[in-house]
Amino acid sequence: MRNFEFVNAPTTERAIELLGPQAKLIAGGTDLLDELKEGLIAPERLVNLKANRALKYLRFSPSEGLRLGALTTLSELETDRTVREHYPMLAAAVRVIASPQIRNMATVGGNLCQRPRCWYYRNDALHCTRKGGPICYAVSGENQYHAILGGHLCFIVHPSDLAPALMAYDARISYAGPGGRKTLPLGEFFVGPAVNITRENLLQPNEVVEEISLPTPAAGTRGVYLKVRDRNTWDFATLSVAAVLEMDGATCRRARIVLGAVAPVPWPAPDADKVLTGARITPEVARRAADAALRGARPMSHNAHKVPLAKNLVRRAILKAAGVSP
Amino acid sequence: MPARRKPTSSSFSFTRRRFLQGVAAGTAAAVVAPELGRAQLQIDEEISGQPRVAIRLRVNGRSYRLSVEPRWTLLDVLRNRLDLTGTKRVCDRGECGACTVLRDGKPVYSCLTLAVDAQDSDLETIEGLSADGRLHPLQEAFVRHDALQCGFCTPGMVMASKALLDRNPQPSLDDIKEGLCGNLCKCGTYTKIFRAVQDAAQTLRRS
Amino acid sequence: MAKVLTRVELNGVVNDVWVEVPENEPAAWPKQAELAVLGKPLPRVDGPDKVSGRAKYTHDVNLSHMLWMKFFRSPYPHARITSLDTSRAEALPGVKRVYTYENTPDISWYANRSKLFDTTLRFVGDEVAAVVAVDEHIAADALPLIDVEYEEMPYVLDAETALSPDAPAIHEGGPQDAPGARNLQGGRPSLYTRGDVEKGFAEADFVIEHTFRSPCQVHACLETHCSVAAWQGDKLTVWDSTQAVHPVRESLAQILNIPIANIRVICLYSGGGFGSKLWINKYTVLAALAARDLGRPVKVTLDREEDALAMGNRPANVMTIRAGCKRDGTLTALTLKNIGSVGAYNAGAGVGTPLREVYRCPNVSTEESNVYINADVARPHRAPGHVQGTWGLEQVLDILAEKCGLDPLDFRLRNYSDTDQVRNLPYSTKGLREAYEKGAEKFGWRDRTARQALSRGPKKRGFGLATQIWGGAGGPPGYAVVNLYSDGTAAVFSGGQDIGSATRTSMLQVAAEELGLPADKLSIVMGDTQGTPYGFVSGGSRTTPSQAPAVRMAAAEVKGQLLELAGKQMNLPAQRLSTREGYVFDTQNPSTRKPIAEVTKELQFGFGTGDRVQNMLIGKGWRGPNPADVSVNSWGAQFAEVEVDIETGEIRVLRIVAAHEAGRLVNPLTASSQIEGGVIQGLGFALFEERVLNNASGRMVNANLHDYKIPTMKDIPEIESVLIDLPDARANSVGVKGLGEPPIIPTPGAIANAVADALGVRVFETPMTPQRVLEALEKGLVLRAQPEEGRRA
Ligand SMILES: Cc1cc2nc3c(=O)[nH]c(=O)nc-3n(C[C@H](O)[C@H](O)[C@H](O)COP(=O)(O)OP(=O)(O)OC[C@H]3O[C@@H](n4cnc5c(N)ncnc54)[C@H](O)[C@@H]3O)c2cc1C
Ligand code: SF4
Ligand code: FES
Ligand code: FES
Repeated sequence: MRNFEFVNAPTTERAIELLGPQAKLIAGGTDLLDELKEGLIAPERLVNLKANRALKYLRFSPSEGLRLGALTTLSELETDRTVREHYPMLAAAVRVIASPQIRNMATVGGNLCQRPRCWYYRNDALHCTRKGGPICYAVSGENQYHAILGGHLCFIVHPSDLAPALMAYDARISYAGPGGRKTLPLGEFFVGPAVNITRENLLQPNEVVEEISLPTPAAGTRGVYLKVRDRNTWDFATLSVAAVLEMDGATCRRARIVLGAVAPVPWPAPDADKVLTGARITPEVARRAADAALRGARPMSHNAHKVPLAKNLVRRAILKAAGVSP
Repeated sequence: MPARRKPTSSSFSFTRRRFLQGVAAGTAAAVVAPELGRAQLQIDEEISGQPRVAIRLRVNGRSYRLSVEPRWTLLDVLRNRLDLTGTKRVCDRGECGACTVLRDGKPVYSCLTLAVDAQDSDLETIEGLSADGRLHPLQEAFVRHDALQCGFCTPGMVMASKALLDRNPQPSLDDIKEGLCGNLCKCGTYTKIFRAVQDAAQTLRRS
Repeated sequence: MAKVLTRVELNGVVNDVWVEVPENEPAAWPKQAELAVLGKPLPRVDGPDKVSGRAKYTHDVNLSHMLWMKFFRSPYPHARITSLDTSRAEALPGVKRVYTYENTPDISWYANRSKLFDTTLRFVGDEVAAVVAVDEHIAADALPLIDVEYEEMPYVLDAETALSPDAPAIHEGGPQDAPGARNLQGGRPSLYTRGDVEKGFAEADFVIEHTFRSPCQVHACLETHCSVAAWQGDKLTVWDSTQAVHPVRESLAQILNIPIANIRVICLYSGGGFGSKLWINKYTVLAALAARDLGRPVKVTLDREEDALAMGNRPANVMTIRAGCKRDGTLTALTLKNIGSVGAYNAGAGVGTPLREVYRCPNVSTEESNVYINADVARPHRAPGHVQGTWGLEQVLDILAEKCGLDPLDFRLRNYSDTDQVRNLPYSTKGLREAYEKGAEKFGWRDRTARQALSRGPKKRGFGLATQIWGGAGGPPGYAVVNLYSDGTAAVFSGGQDIGSATRTSMLQVAAEELGLPADKLSIVMGDTQGTPYGFVSGGSRTTPSQAPAVRMAAAEVKGQLLELAGKQMNLPAQRLSTREGYVFDTQNPSTRKPIAEVTKELQFGFGTGDRVQNMLIGKGWRGPNPADVSVNSWGAQFAEVEVDIETGEIRVLRIVAAHEAGRLVNPLTASSQIEGGVIQGLGFALFEERVLNNASGRMVNANLHDYKIPTMKDIPEIESVLIDLPDARANSVGVKGLGEPPIIPTPGAIANAVADALGVRVFETPMTPQRVLEALEKGLVLRAQPEEGRRA
């Protein structure tokens, strides 16, 4: 790990000033330190966002919904009463992230901005496409954890468990840069390799995520987060599904299905949402929605199992959210 | 710098009781081990070129002023500068829990915490738990239930358990698993740890 | 004194060693003897040091003026160094020296196939250079400043490919390079045959053949490999995270050409070894060399990735097992063809022992090939060979049992063997039948069908069992000294180490029992060459059966002296006296007794009166030969209950009952810990652990503790140990056998059988990940669909 200068940024403006191509933001540091230690990045300056207490908040009101400052920690999110009450699926998704210690340190902003976990990417000895190198090792290599959807020259899966959960609740993200503050649907924040192979989102090096906001769920909203992983602690998803269904009796008024660990971005499934919207949820409907969600999936040499796994998980999540027995 | 004991003389002496026992072991002490236990403070002057910053750390109720490189982790500093080697380095990447310390009462990984970033908080390490020379009831329970084998994960486990019991004095088995799952044990002592923590919880509730 | 040759096994390798036969070794305690300390759940004596963080591991040794060493390792799986320039690294402020093949002595390594620093690199992680600097970060900073040019060479990463005639040769010249023996260690496979397997298969009603693949598994000890070396004049002290303080000292003496007596090796505590720390490593030698050159202590601590890349592993195996049995379940023939990848240099990758020994079968043959590949060298890894071998064999047994329509347990009982068929000897003791019975009872094996009904929707329950054998005899060399002091306390100095298996505690119990002292009157020293007599490596489950008899003999010698002393004081013949609970007492009139501390008072103050010449009593003991006319083994059986989700491929192991017999039960508390630990590691083998090598670079891509998966607290089942206490009077004077390796052995097989029971299809490859389960189900469905289509056609 190369040495750097460590500077506190008590305000967003100050952070923006301090940032630049040779600087990096540090929040909880749980991802950044791994990148530093592995030598994937060697910034000259770390800009400490935690000095900005104004970004550490969690507020809920029925009219405005939930507002999360970027510095809210995952464990604050996990244990907060209003979150458990109004967004139980979000709390459930956070509970299966990493480990208790990491959740005590990691922040919401950092989780959304964390870098890929592709094991070639995380190895400083392997100079792959995402790092400006000549090849993607996953293509002819050990790609059991890689993408089945949305890959292009690079086949990472987006590592965040928080992102699919937030997106299924229609979250919006606000971030600030020299040009001012922008707010957009979280789904639009993430970009795949076809758009930009070096980054996973729209953020420029001198921009700072400030807030995530979620509308108050309508009555009858039920959410389910399912995650399959090798071990029951630490592990990133082999596959995950966030499902939010607005139910009116047995009929689904509105649905948002988002898959994790299938693509370089958290993967919304609008085709599945369409199948569900207005439908009476039955095992058959859930199966059709699952098929729709995975339409276009193109497995690599070692991850064909992810397709049936994803379908099974989507189906299960829908039925569970709708309270229908399989 | 914190006050430290000076070496007794320029020749080597043992500072650990265990080694005293070792020497008393009958055979002539032909090979005397160099002094143990002094951190590497003296080399600080020797390094040039690397930037340093002055920081203050509050560890186990004591304040330390020291100068560190910004890249040093809290774990590095605890182990190699303050000689608090009870906190272990195993993965150095947040993947095992052996480096667990309490930061304002919450368990965190000291390997993913920069020392410069650990100022202004109360830090507690395993050494703080039996600072008066007496084992904490949790530590006693770990011994009684044999919740350790090689012992390398043990300090981290004990610290995570302490944080758990401070928060939840009456944990169920699932609470224990949830609370301690961020600590890996390669020897496989988990089952015994469940028992030790439950037993310690009882002892602590009674007292 | 008489000397004999005795057979000693370590991790499956058998040696004949000379040993003196002790003349007055105490007789084995009778089976029903009432013992005061042995067999009691004494908490481990070093527990307080470990829970408080006081215990100093090698990682924790920091010395004044200490320097740090870091390694530059080969980025290529096979390459020749064409040029090497360290000047930029040496110019970095804080760097003291860089060691390479150019400035280090010619020290041969890997059984003379290589050197401390070789110019031909044979795996990613092979040592190229070592930097010494004022601290660890500076040493790491210097690594990228070392300029090396390489000529890359073709490489091969798996054993099956390595055997093909056009594979690149990893070592040139020698039998392993001949046609038909390409990359085959020793130039030929090792063979074993008994009976006539062709005849055996001809007699069989059912014959099956399956191929099982187990991947390479790294040890992942929590304390990475580490040494600290410091010199005073011509004396060297080395702290080493090792399982072999005495052998490391001997190796250092040989390599550095200095007297053994000038070296002290210390490892009071080590954070796991599991077989990866059984001998000296390059970094220890380099630390010693650098410390001498630079006149300052040198510390080297490998990081997690280096540890996985270069510190050994359980080899990958491809095992083809063919088995035949009669309709009634009697085995008629068993054959094994095993291809094991030893890595770039000589090592062992055999798996055949369980297949040759566990079940009665007249016709058996095994053919085992140890194959070089361009990856790190294998080392013994808790129950080497037995874990993989048992995992394959036990599945074959279940497949045959199903064909015969027999319960898996009945099938195993039908093929129970009362003799060691390889050596044609009876077993000293064999508690396997009891392990089956008690284990099955605790598990509820016979009424498991009732629990089958707990299957819910896609979550299927399954049940399985597996058997375990291990050569747990131990043997010489092993020495101990016991001192009894004037205040009636005693100290034990034992060779061997406590590597986390509570050996300190069991040795202390043995000495306390023999001396008749309460355990808290004793202290024990292990793991320091300075204070202890010689002990061999602490691994292969050999420590307790090797050291305990030596400790007992030393204690008995002291006890003899104590009774002499007491006899004079009490005016009774010494032969009439004995000790118990801190007293010397008259065996004919037990109420006549005297506290031991009173008896030893006479030893006080050095300058005695009368005929007293001693200030303390010293006893010396050593490990005698193993019995020649019996085979000594540890036994066990495990039962597993699993739940498999057929839609996600997730396996949850719900319950393991582990029944083990390893002779006398020294300490039920620590023995059950040993068993639970083995089960959890076995579960890791079955479900999670696999070294993943990238084909395009030859590099291990999961050399960290996230991607290399060790079971966490939330992955483990309920574990119940059944401890079978069966003192083995033929094995040694304490009646103990090794329990270190046994509990990991049957776990993967039991889990695999339970998974197959749940799914109706088998996963022939470990780890059984959701991916492999789903793939096996897919294949199973295809297979099952075929006959139907056939009928339709
Ligand atoms: C062993 C391990 C297991 C894990 N398992 C999981 C898992 O199962 N599921 C999961 O979702 N995650 C997992 N994680 C990832 C973890 O959740 C993230 O590391 C964490 O959320 C990042 O938050 P942080 O505050 O520590 O970010 P940091 O490490 O401080 O920053 C991460 C990145 O985001 C940038 N950044 C941080 N905050 C902002 C901001 N406000 N604006 C702009 N950029 C910012 C930083 O510059 C950096 O590039 C795991 C991590 C580890 C180490
Ligand atoms: S998937 Fe992307 S990050 Fe991974 S090796 Fe390919 S290009 Fe690199
Ligand atoms: S050393 Fe910090 S988590 Fe492993
Ligand atoms: S006791 Fe050895 S790792 Fe836990």
